[in-house]
Amino acid sequence: MRLSAQERLAYPLLVPAAALIGALILYPIGATIVTAFATTDKLGRIVGVAGWRNFQALAADPAFWQIFRRTFVWTAIAVAVKTTAGLAFALLLNLPFHGRRAVRLLTVIPWALPYPISAMIWQWTYNSQFGLLNRFLQATGLWPHPPAWLASPGSAFAANLIVDIWIGLPFFALVFLAGLQAISPEYHEAAAIDGAGAAARFAAVTLPFLRPVIVMASLLSVIWTFNDFSVPYIVTKGGPINTTDILVTHLYKTAFQFLDFGPASAIAIITFLTLLAFSLLYARLYFREVG
Amino acid sequence: MSMRRRIALAAGAALCIGLLAVPALGGGAVSIRAVWMEYDARYNTFWQQLKKDFEAANPGITVDTVIVPWSEGHDRLVTWIAGNQAPDLAIVGTRWILEFNKMGVVEPVDTFMPKAFTHKFIGPALEARIGGRLYGVPVALSARALYYRSDLIKTPPRTWQEMLAVAQRVAKPGSLYGIGVSGKKFAELTEYVYYLYGNGGDFFVTNPDGSYGRCRVNDAAGVEALQFMTDLVNKYKVTEPNVAENDRGTLQDLFLAGKLAMIETGPWFGGMIQERAKSLPFAVAPMPHNQGKPQHTLLVTDSIIVFKSAKHKDAVAKFLEFAYNDRHRLEFDKDFGMLPVVKTVARNAYFQTPFYRPFIEQLPTAKPWPLVAEWSKVEDVMWDAVTSALLRAKSPRQALTDACREIDQARGVK
Repeated sequence: MRLSAQERLAYPLLVPAAALIGALILYPIGATIVTAFATTDKLGRIVGVAGWRNFQALAADPAFWQIFRRTFVWTAIAVAVKTTAGLAFALLLNLPFHGRRAVRLLTVIPWALPYPISAMIWQWTYNSQFGLLNRFLQATGLWPHPPAWLASPGSAFAANLIVDIWIGLPFFALVFLAGLQAISPEYHEAAAIDGAGAAARFAAVTLPFLRPVIVMASLLSVIWTFNDFSVPYIVTKGGPINTTDILVTHLYKTAFQFLDFGPASAIAIITFLTLLAFSLLYARLYFREVG
Repeated sequence: MSMRRRIALAAGAALCIGLLAVPALGGGAVSIRAVWMEYDARYNTFWQQLKKDFEAANPGITVDTVIVPWSEGHDRLVTWIAGNQAPDLAIVGTRWILEFNKMGVVEPVDTFMPKAFTHKFIGPALEARIGGRLYGVPVALSARALYYRSDLIKTPPRTWQEMLAVAQRVAKPGSLYGIGVSGKKFAELTEYVYYLYGNGGDFFVTNPDGSYGRCRVNDAAGVEALQFMTDLVNKYKVTEPNVAENDRGTLQDLFLAGKLAMIETGPWFGGMIQERAKSLPFAVAPMPHNQGKPQHTLLVTDSIIVFKSAKHKDAVAKFLEFAYNDRHRLEFDKDFGMLPVVKTVARNAYFQTPFYRPFIEQLPTAKPWPLVAEWSKVEDVMWDAVTSALLRAKSPRQALTDACREIDQARGVK
């Protein structure tokens, strides 16, 4: 096959991008896989072969299973709330009302702020001595003796969830809003003429049209939420007593605090495979929808 | 666009990328890279000033300064070391040195610094002398003491029992708490160590050769120390109610806000009070201990370590010589609220005050952190044990027994 001069030029121009992808994505993935089956020194340099030992040690550690299960609970609750509340928000924002543009803009703010900054603001907000939240609850008489949110395991977990939801909600609201606006009003009008009420129109028109968007957005959110490092690490540092640790924060501590790079890589592989399985499942669902 | 112009454009772009890499190759001047930690300070201009003064006195050498918060310092250094990006010198908690040394990256200071230099320091500051070699230059020294509200407490408590009585007397539920206890992970295991050392306890059994053996915090002294803390929180309720939410930093904020009558912390806090709560009447006393047990407080040193990978050791040596003149040392101690590490500075009138006296008087009996390579793991496990007991998830004995099992396992000690 003869390539034109222009086509030949394409190859050298691809080299920088290919080199970057190789160096920044492929190499680290390969190195992580190798390290997961190795013993390392405290600098992460491979010193021996571990076989499956890193994985076996994790499997035998009840704390790991606890964190593994917690990560699923964390992801399930957060994504479910973000999806339903995001849809409700989108429906509201889609209604014609005065000041709609301003409200839509305000909705974006949590999403537009860098994650760590949001997490820090919330950490201050939750502070039981100086924080805005408890001050508000007390001043308004809504809750005269509010708990110290970040001081006990249950409420700290819930507090982290709320922050994750607060940050992630605008994404859903905006994506769903775009999806809603892509639905031609004629379908609603036709359904209305056929005598469908608001609820019936939502079930028969809105939801079916939105389904591909919902599937895609929630898949992305599962990946982001599962890997949400900033919120639990900044708001509670995984505490009290590691009760708000999820897989990524546990991975970080194992690698960079305890310098156990072999086990940390094994956790990374487990996280990767879990999310890959999720994604494949979702992709099948999605393409069946679209197809 | 013609073919030739496109090729010229591509070549131009490649050249630009290439040029970006040139400064990294280095020109004629020698540059040393230093990582400093951010102290609880009134001012953070010290390092910039030191850099300016040094560069003015030593044309041809530049100092690249990176300042990192303590809570991130350890992990950031590890990441740099692992990526072959270690700085030339860095401040570390002396308790981290064994870990870094195990990685083979620490250059003993005595290999390139003159003897006269190492003789500048007072004894307790030279914590980084391990097996006859000096692995770090002491940069900061602190002992911990009891800060108390002098308007509410006339005679400071000397024992735990007196401290409890004082706390019960002054505490007003909701507005003033007797004594601060923190249960949130921090860069060091604050509070428990004060009670452990104040009860004659220790973290590890010391082997005949001086190395550390089994974990022993689950012995009578260790359990009693945690039981006392737990009682302060849950039985006598003289602490702030939200202990698991607070670390050393937020406890200090509580005292500054006038909500705590007593807090156990280091000399830097005096400067912070003057800066942020000038009208707050306070005084300092030696760390209380359990009645009938000897008084020991915690002594902490931070050290400057030099990395093996440093290319210009002569420039590093020049910098260290320069940084350890009395003027800069006194400024450092003043700015960051530390005790003097250099003998000549220790004699300065600045330290001969009622504020510094309790800190300096405690030095002869003060005990440092144990130096073990696995300290960051030990500390994390200990934090969980302490918080579990404070939150009543486990009894103090159970929490510490579990902790010892995990610590011994992590250290490979039977």
